[in-house]
Amino acid sequence: MIPSDHFVRFYNEVFKFLDGRDGLADFYCEISRHQDFHCLELFRSRGLQGVYEYYCTIRKEENCDMDIQLNGHELTLRMNVCPSLSKAMDNDAGLCRKYCLHCPGWVQPVYARAGLFEIYDVGDLEQPRCTEWIYDDREAAREKYRALAKTISPERLFISFEP
Amino acid sequence: MLRYQENNELHRDFHGTTNMTIEYIARKYGADALKEILRRTGREVYRSIREKLAKGDASELLEHLNWFYFREGAPYQLTVSADEIKMEVFECPAHKHLKTLGLPVSEYNCLQTSEVNAGMCENTPWESSVEILGPGHCVQTFRRKGEVEK
Repeated sequence: MIPSDHFVRFYNEVFKFLDGRDGLADFYCEISRHQDFHCLELFRSRGLQGVYEYYCTIRKEENCDMDIQLNGHELTLRMNVCPSLSKAMDNDAGLCRKYCLHCPGWVQPVYARAGLFEIYDVGDLEQPRCTEWIYDDREAAREKYRALAKTISPERLFISFEP
Repeated sequence: MLRYQENNELHRDFHGTTNMTIEYIARKYGADALKEILRRTGREVYRSIREKLAKGDASELLEHLNWFYFREGAPYQLTVSADEIKMEVFECPAHKHLKTLGLPVSEYNCLQTSEVNAGMCENTPWESSVEILGPGHCVQTFRRKGEVEK
């Protein structure tokens, strides 16, 4: 058994394998379908409140240093120390450079299916910090994206909607 | 001493994601590709265990088996002699959690044990085997090569 504590180091090896075969994007879709099982109904039925509740559980179980702010039509997830990337980096097998990209890769299709709109700033791929802004209002999401795009490099920004 | 110290909360749903990943790789790329990834995980992620085994020191392997199965709440029996380590797991925590979630166990799921263990033993005087006795019930054996079966 791979201990659940060590799952991310196995995941990291899977990403290396898939990256060499141009297989990451398809795998992100598979993760996303799997994650529907855990959170889609919650996100659909409870909207941003459901996202808030899901990430409160994740913050505890995955030992995240993360700030979660719910403010009207906007939910902000600010990961100060990501335990997943931290483990992938604290790893004798070495980090897959694209490790962080699986996060927007799986979560954005789930938000889209739930009728939510997300902007994901992955930041520096070798620093365990990132920020997500999630909206239940498309125009509010577009407005935020336009503001962020003025100061943040486009390679860092992932969005789940047409800008 | 364990290379990776883990003492915080557990996120058992990762067993579900491991199972999904194993099924995906085996179906799309074949069982040999899956074995290659798992072997590399055993060999490289657990390099510290492997390097100690190469020097004849099984202490980190023992600590790893004992700590992580205890931490996940598994009923198990770990039997150690000078040349053999036997780990009987009566109810695999990964299988148990998949059952709790209502997710089917991939037919390739137990390769995570046999191949990771084999990777830990690569280029060392040790070899590993896994005997499946039933759903979630297995015996993992690590034995010094050349030792006669007792």
